[in-house]
Amino acid sequence: MDYTLQFGQITRFLPGFFTGALISLSLAAMAFAGGLLIGLAGAALKTYGSQLARRLVGIYVVFFTNTPQLVQIFFLFFVLPDAGVLLSPYSAVLIGMTLNAGAYLTEIQRAGFLSVRAQEIEAAETIGMSRLQTIRHIVMPHIVRTLFPPLSNHYISMVLGTSMAAVFGVNELTGQAMSANAETFRAVEIYLVVGAIYIAVTLVASALLVLAGRHLLRVRMAL
Amino acid sequence: MEGTFAEQLREFLTYANATFLLSGMATTLVLSVSGCVIGFLAGFGLAAVRKAGGRVPWIVRALVAVIVEAFRRVPFLVTLLIVFFAFQLAGGNVSVLVVGIVSVSLIATGYLSEIVRAGLDGVHPNQWDSAIVANFTYLQTLRYVIVPQAWRVILPPAFGFFLMFIKDSALASQIGVVELTYVGKVLNNKGYTPALAFGSILVLYFVLSYPLALLGRYLELRLAQAKHH
Repeated sequence: MDYTLQFGQITRFLPGFFTGALISLSLAAMAFAGGLLIGLAGAALKTYGSQLARRLVGIYVVFFTNTPQLVQIFFLFFVLPDAGVLLSPYSAVLIGMTLNAGAYLTEIQRAGFLSVRAQEIEAAETIGMSRLQTIRHIVMPHIVRTLFPPLSNHYISMVLGTSMAAVFGVNELTGQAMSANAETFRAVEIYLVVGAIYIAVTLVASALLVLAGRHLLRVRMAL
Repeated sequence: MEGTFAEQLREFLTYANATFLLSGMATTLVLSVSGCVIGFLAGFGLAAVRKAGGRVPWIVRALVAVIVEAFRRVPFLVTLLIVFFAFQLAGGNVSVLVVGIVSVSLIATGYLSEIVRAGLDGVHPNQWDSAIVANFTYLQTLRYVIVPQAWRVILPPAFGFFLMFIKDSALASQIGVVELTYVGKVLNNKGYTPALAFGSILVLYFVLSYPLALLGRYLELRLAQAKHH
């Protein structure tokens, strides 16, 4: 083995890696936001919905949480064209990640709903709070504080999950690395640098989330 | 291959395709099980080092903490590619399955080490102190006092991680490991309609993952109950 690692050749790709990282973060943010809405609806239906609605949401969650996200996106990307729906790689990944996140976030948010105890609401009634006041001052703060840590963890794991978009040719961070590798063949150097960028980006994102949680929501979280 | 879905389905259900799919399923299972077992052992070791306090120099503990944190923040696909190309540089003729297992082990080490550490942290400090008073060594303390109490806390999330990796290991298809997703891609390339090729592996992943998910939920309930006795 007489190969020496040479990082010099890849410095010119760093700006590309930076834009790639931004694409990863925004892709994860959009899929997370969509998933949060789907999850909110799903959790509400599963907690308060009719028998049929509960069963349908249950099937959705069980199916999406028990199959790989990669294959779900394969399905969207290769099967939908047969039905006349042609998706760009980016939108296939975005839709796939959103649907997948929706399933996981349904479960997470349902746990948040269930964690509000009847005593808390009764106590609020006892001190004369109206229904709206109870929701505003008791239920919402409780749910938000309970949910903030698992939701931020899920966002971070979704940022890492966006790397599979490279498989479909999206130019996010891993995709940029693959193009850089095709040009220079400095594979180990490139993927080590890109791995380090993922570590840095998710550390910064985690730190910001912890700070936001502490100051805006008064949630105690470890990094 | 042309024809309607129903016609294709008849051609699809052959003995050769069935064994191919099942072997892919087996490889997926081998990949996740061996990676998670190796990762659990390594992760347990790292957690024990971090928990050892003054028995281990602080620099070692800090290094372990950094490694654990780093492994959890690199996407599985990037880890696979680093390991894949690193083996190529090293010149060894290593099969892609080994590359896959090494990659899963690395990621699993990071995550499972955190899970184990949380479990060890969950045991009351008095238990550690009484073990010292009883003149137990550190390893004896772990073996006879801490682990018998901590495993109930460790097992459910560790099992959950294993379950997650049955699905995440689909990315190993990208470096050529012939696991279930790769089989789906091959069947698609052979000309079966994507709905059949990818639909069948979705079903098989579900068949693999869902019973294990039920088992995981049962374990969680069972161990949570046992804790309150």
